[in-house]
Amino acid sequence: MANTTAKVNVVYGDGTLGLNGSGFQYIFSYERGGLESLKHHGKEWLYRVPKPTFWRATTDNDRGNHFSETSAMWLGADLFSTCTKVEVAVDDQPIPLPIAPVNNQYTDHEQANSVTVTFTYTTATQPQTTMTVSYRVDGTGTIVVHAHFTGQDRLPALPALGLRVIMPTAAQGFQYQGLSGETYPDRLAGGQPGTYDVTGLPVTPYLVPQECGMHMTNSQVTVTRTTTLNNADPDDDPFTLTVQQTSQPFNFSCLPYTAEELENATHIEELPPLRRTVLTVFGAVRGVGGIDSWGADIEPQYRLPADRDYDFEFEIMGPKD
Amino acid sequence: MQADLKWLDDPQTYRVNQLPAHSDHRYYRSVAEVQAQQSSFVQSLDGTWRFAFAQTPSERPVGFEQPDYDHHDFNEIQVPGHIELAGYGQLHYTNTLYPWEGKAYRRPAYTLGDTTGMPGMFSQGADNTVGAYLKAFTLNPELQGHRVVIQFDGVEEAMYLWLNGHFIGYAEDSFSQSEFDLTPYLQAGKNLLAVEVFKRSTAAFLEDQDFFRFSGIFRSVRLVAQPTVHVNDLTIRANVLDDLTTGDFNLRLKLNDDAAQAQAQVRVMLQTDDHVVIDQTLPVKAEVHVDHVSVPNVHLWDHQDPFLYQLRLEVLDATGKILEVIPYGVGFRRVELKDKVMQLNGHRIILNGVNRHEWDAKRGRSVTLADMRYDLQVFEAHHINAVRTCHYPDQIIWYYLCDQNGIYMMAENNLETHGTWQKMGAVEASDNVPGSLPQWQGAVLDRARSNYQAFKNHPAILFWSLGNESYAGDDIAAMDKYYHDHDQTRLTHYEGVCRNRVYQDRISDMESMMYDPPKAIREYLDHDPQKPFVNCEYMHDMGNSLGGMNSYTDLIDQYPMYQGGFIWDYIDQALLIDDEVTGRPVLRYGGDFDDRHSDYEFSGDGLLFADRTPKPALQEVSYYYGKYDR
Repeated sequence: MANTTAKVNVVYGDGTLGLNGSGFQYIFSYERGGLESLKHHGKEWLYRVPKPTFWRATTDNDRGNHFSETSAMWLGADLFSTCTKVEVAVDDQPIPLPIAPVNNQYTDHEQANSVTVTFTYTTATQPQTTMTVSYRVDGTGTIVVHAHFTGQDRLPALPALGLRVIMPTAAQGFQYQGLSGETYPDRLAGGQPGTYDVTGLPVTPYLVPQECGMHMTNSQVTVTRTTTLNNADPDDDPFTLTVQQTSQPFNFSCLPYTAEELENATHIEELPPLRRTVLTVFGAVRGVGGIDSWGADIEPQYRLPADRDYDFEFEIMGPKD
Repeated sequence: MQADLKWLDDPQTYRVNQLPAHSDHRYYRSVAEVQAQQSSFVQSLDGTWRFAFAQTPSERPVGFEQPDYDHHDFNEIQVPGHIELAGYGQLHYTNTLYPWEGKAYRRPAYTLGDTTGMPGMFSQGADNTVGAYLKAFTLNPELQGHRVVIQFDGVEEAMYLWLNGHFIGYAEDSFSQSEFDLTPYLQAGKNLLAVEVFKRSTAAFLEDQDFFRFSGIFRSVRLVAQPTVHVNDLTIRANVLDDLTTGDFNLRLKLNDDAAQAQAQVRVMLQTDDHVVIDQTLPVKAEVHVDHVSVPNVHLWDHQDPFLYQLRLEVLDATGKILEVIPYGVGFRRVELKDKVMQLNGHRIILNGVNRHEWDAKRGRSVTLADMRYDLQVFEAHHINAVRTCHYPDQIIWYYLCDQNGIYMMAENNLETHGTWQKMGAVEASDNVPGSLPQWQGAVLDRARSNYQAFKNHPAILFWSLGNESYAGDDIAAMDKYYHDHDQTRLTHYEGVCRNRVYQDRISDMESMMYDPPKAIREYLDHDPQKPFVNCEYMHDMGNSLGGMNSYTDLIDQYPMYQGGFIWDYIDQALLIDDEVTGRPVLRYGGDFDDRHSDYEFSGDGLLFADRTPKPALQEVSYYYGKYDR
């Protein structure tokens, strides 16, 4: 049983904010604009800082109805949106960004009940809008992640909206509690609720690689890896990271590739060798459609207009004992 | 008669010396042979044939059919199979645009005022590859002394046949059985069969299906001996009276010409495992009829309970010896339009259907029995109750399997001409065939006739389909009339008439559309519809698709005249080949063989991947079709 009254140790660094406690060590980078390191029991879970994702690899139906053309700005946003603001709150009270000289006031034994770091990303779109991602960490190492997308009525509909976490090595597999198979908002009636183990990181072998592997309405997903990039870590025992829902179920995909990697391939054999794990938690998912593949748009209720705000939240569980 | 290359150019020549189409019944020498499903009248010619390939007609080995021709440089090829998958001829996938697009200018003969018949268009076509096939055989002892015919179940796209150097006949229609009498030229000992297969003929205009463009002998070939008295054709009418409990059994046999003099008899038995319904012995005549035998409390055939009575015909000679035994599964069911709703056995039909191309990732359209059995397991597991044979007749065995498994069939004849009227998405029918052209009507009627005559006894077939995307004119109307004239127990289907409404009273018993959004279907159903509605193609499952299916299935509950449809389609068409870089097997599609013009991945629309693994969307189909599987 985790000690829920534990405090989180805070390291007020010059370019980062370190948070650690029993079994966990997190580093938020002001320069990289996000969570740079997420270690549980010494195992690193992040390859690069998680970033908002606004793109999905074009499906055959997207191509047919020209969705990807009309929404092409979001591909740029997916690749090039940048962090334009970082905010820190300690025990839910905002503080000035604790970089030098502000952090000269601290010691090597600072603690808090909780620390929240919020990154604001400005989209590479015209006009621009923002998405904020906040991480609230408590003494158990649990991270509540909250994302807020600010609507902008002059932007085209979104292909996807989520937070993409790239892990350093390919996972052995994942277990989730949700619906069977690959599901989308307009294709989930046949999904059976349950707990499912997925071996490896399967990419659905559509003739032309495209958006795939979505899992709708989950309460939990646990990714299992055995390898790290740490040269000093010869151990190959499995270790896990769990994402779970807060008030609402979440959607995710867990693939070895980013949307852009999938987008570029014309055949599955052109995709690069398996190296990473791309876990994306989606706050909103566009339907896939099915009326035809040469023009019919998906039905309106399954589209993601960009003129409204979106909020989503999930929790990265602290280290397991 | 001599073979003539001009037939390739002439739409009015589509069969020469071919035997008339007839029912697809199999016959055996004894009851024991029936039980073993092994007929000693049959000699398979499947296997290794000798083969030479020519890029053009002018380069073909002229005279190769002669036994004294020097065949030393002929290679080998497996039959059945496609020439292109054997390494000869380029693989090519194209959808609407004809395969010669950008390479040869062609307009169908007799369109746009043409009166010449376009001589040389195919017989001198630079894109018309030729396969010269040779098969040496010696008749099995069981076939010797009999009339012997040869059956080609599928040859794409035009074939000439010789035996021992004598010209036998010519056939088009790649997907219907072609049958020829070999008896006059059979000799004792070794015989040499020669088949010249052309990739293109005027049939190419009629066979513009959205698929890989193959050629060759891609279905089985066999010799079949006939006993002196032989049932050439049987027509079974296992009707159900409107009380829905009384069967009305009718049978008409057509026998060969010699039969009338033979003092022979035919024993007609209709039975179940525990009940004999009919056991009559009748004298043989040119035609033998069994009319209106009443079957009280008949066990009906349907999807849930595909019950088959066993018909067995025994042809007996004057001494009572069995000459042949014919088994056939008989399903009693009643198909009708009632209050503008299609009914089966008094119940509204709901079609949880798929369009199914014959496809095997390694063998192309030369599918195996194992493929078919697998497909039926998928159907059963996912509540698929109906299949459209798009857009050609399938292998004969498939119809028997659908009878046995209770799969409702929309049996489509071999026809698709969308390249003659769909021009870059617009309807532009100025060079459409068959249209109302008399020169093309014979060929398309022949396709309807072959389809009807072969498969008329299968209870699984509820609908005859006149083809796909071929616009509408007098010729299609004549096909509709042919089916109705010959068969009052089934309904006709054709979608293309919705592109030319002038013919809507003469073509198709149902309003059939493809890919109409749910809203448009509601529009139709809300405005005094005259025909029940069917989606002959819907839920285009290309890549990651099949979203929003509930918008269609909701219509089932709301409109009695909405009767479901056929998902496009059952299986991706892609070829499993070895990657040129890694050597590993990979699935390849149009354009991957330097083939141009191509429609690339557009043939990947299946519920299954081409290697028959299910796509994720299949669970959605299973859910919605499961709701209406009753």
